[in-house]
Amino acid sequence: MKYLPFVLKNLGRNKLRSLLTASAIALAIALVCILRTMPAGMDAFLNSLASNTRISIHNEAGIVYSLPYSYLAKVRGVPGVVAAIDWNWFGGAIDPAKGVTFPNFAVDPVDFGKVYEDWNIAPQALEDFRKYRDAAIVGRATMVKNDWKVGDVVSLQSTVYGITLSYRIVGEVPNDRSPQFYFQREYLAQALAANGTPFDVLGTIWARIDDPNRVEPIMRQIDEMFRNSEGETESETEKSFFGSFFGSLKGIVTIILIVAGIVTLCIVFIAANTASMSVRERVGEIAILKAIGFRRRIIFTTLLAEAVVLSTIAGAAGALISLGLTSMLRSSASTGTAQLGPLTGFIVTDAILIQALFIAFFIGIVSGWLPALGASRRSVAQTLREVF
Amino acid sequence: MIDIVNVSRVYHRGADEIHALERVSLHVPKGRFVALMGPSGSGKSTLLNVLAGLDRPNSGDVTVGGRHLNDLSEDQLAEFRAHTVGFVFQFFNLIPVLSAVENVELPLLLTKLSRADRRQRAETALRVVGLAERGTHLPRQLSGGEQQRVAIARAIVTDAELLVADEPTGDLDAKNAEEILSLLQTLKRDFGKTVVIVTHDPRAEKWVDEVIHLDKGLLLETRPGGAARGAAS
Repeated sequence: MKYLPFVLKNLGRNKLRSLLTASAIALAIALVCILRTMPAGMDAFLNSLASNTRISIHNEAGIVYSLPYSYLAKVRGVPGVVAAIDWNWFGGAIDPAKGVTFPNFAVDPVDFGKVYEDWNIAPQALEDFRKYRDAAIVGRATMVKNDWKVGDVVSLQSTVYGITLSYRIVGEVPNDRSPQFYFQREYLAQALAANGTPFDVLGTIWARIDDPNRVEPIMRQIDEMFRNSEGETESETEKSFFGSFFGSLKGIVTIILIVAGIVTLCIVFIAANTASMSVRERVGEIAILKAIGFRRRIIFTTLLAEAVVLSTIAGAAGALISLGLTSMLRSSASTGTAQLGPLTGFIVTDAILIQALFIAFFIGIVSGWLPALGASRRSVAQTLREVF
Repeated sequence: MIDIVNVSRVYHRGADEIHALERVSLHVPKGRFVALMGPSGSGKSTLLNVLAGLDRPNSGDVTVGGRHLNDLSEDQLAEFRAHTVGFVFQFFNLIPVLSAVENVELPLLLTKLSRADRRQRAETALRVVGLAERGTHLPRQLSGGEQQRVAIARAIVTDAELLVADEPTGDLDAKNAEEILSLLQTLKRDFGKTVVIVTHDPRAEKWVDEVIHLDKGLLLETRPGGAARGAAS
């Protein structure tokens, strides 16, 4: 510890260089911290979306393939299924030129409230949703984004069926992150029938199970029921459904984590360069220290300590930056910035902070090792001859 | 204090062999002030490095303060230098980010002294060289002569028996050079230090007890300096 003031004074020798190197390390560590929150954040996000008693049943070939409408009644008849509805992608756009800006589905209104009882939709809204053929229930994120309110009449033009339907908004899904738009299946069926198009299929069935422990066997039972039929099914939990929906995002997260690793490696080289420059500039001073009796071990340790102290302090600053940034995101979300979406679930945990400090310490060790070793091994007489 | 017998030192610079010292023998009694003189490349700095434990000879024996340096490991040599030798170099070589008193305190970090004791000794050493009031100044805030005095304070702070100085006046004007040589003589006279300097400066002759001339790695001549002649007369 008696060498610590000496180490700190040497760090302040070239303040700009130390500051720039520390900034590079701090930003890299902040980046790594934020990226490290992503897998857990994704999981938290999926958990926040998903219920443990809700399952989806879709065509085994993929969610874009339809199933016969008769399957809905068969699923409802399975013991343990409390309620089931169908989802049918409408692909509606406010302005077709701008494309679909929020997901919209034609659904069965009768069981809608039972399947999504955990969404806390107002009873009056559910009542109106069942009562009015043109009723729509809209997620709050889309309501806010489009400045809609309950009672507004809006129109969507389908990019799938080529028809335009008008809706009366009767309620909202009270979740800041919910973008969906739901309307009655019958409304769509009648509009298509008017054009002479039959509508006897469905996209996905969503069912609520009475007991979380029975979810797995019921899913197996349903898939078995439709085996060797005209449309074999694949059932999965809601979390799994959204998980596969966000599967590509997880791939991106993996790539980002690899990039973060490469960034860390680059920072090691930057810090090593700084340490080398610092040692090179002081080769004469280091020779003098050796001359007055500083052993190789002390020279090595003090030089290495400079790199480690700089890196660890910068790493701590980077960890604090990431902590502040993610707290700010959560705070923004709680004040109504719904479009921040899943980012608000990304929390820098204590474990991530400890990992960040460890990585920063590691950067210091690796970057300082070789320059410190070289300086400590250099012959004092040879250095004095070369330098003076 | 110093016994050097048949010491040779050969350097390799590329394919060339440079014979810096050729079978040099030298005896310096305790409490003497000796100047090693000679043209550039004569081997005087190499001889200084060898007797101070900074460099090892290819052959011959070096004994300083009763310790046979040939037998010591690198770490033992470092310990020997820390306790027995004080160094002064031409370009002052103070650590620029440390104040004068912190620079003087530096060799004491290698001891087990408390922080307060280290500071007290460093201040005493600065007082000996006449810089008691300049302890908090950084090297860049001191003149060349003052910086060299700080370097001398750093050399004596461990109470080393042997002071070695490589061109201590080389970067100083005449007035400061005289003051430094006078200070080194005072350290020899009043504190019993053995002082060995390498110098080109002819003014040094009048302050030293003995002048040793080297050329091309050979010890050519040993003759009394001005201090010895003054004492004799």
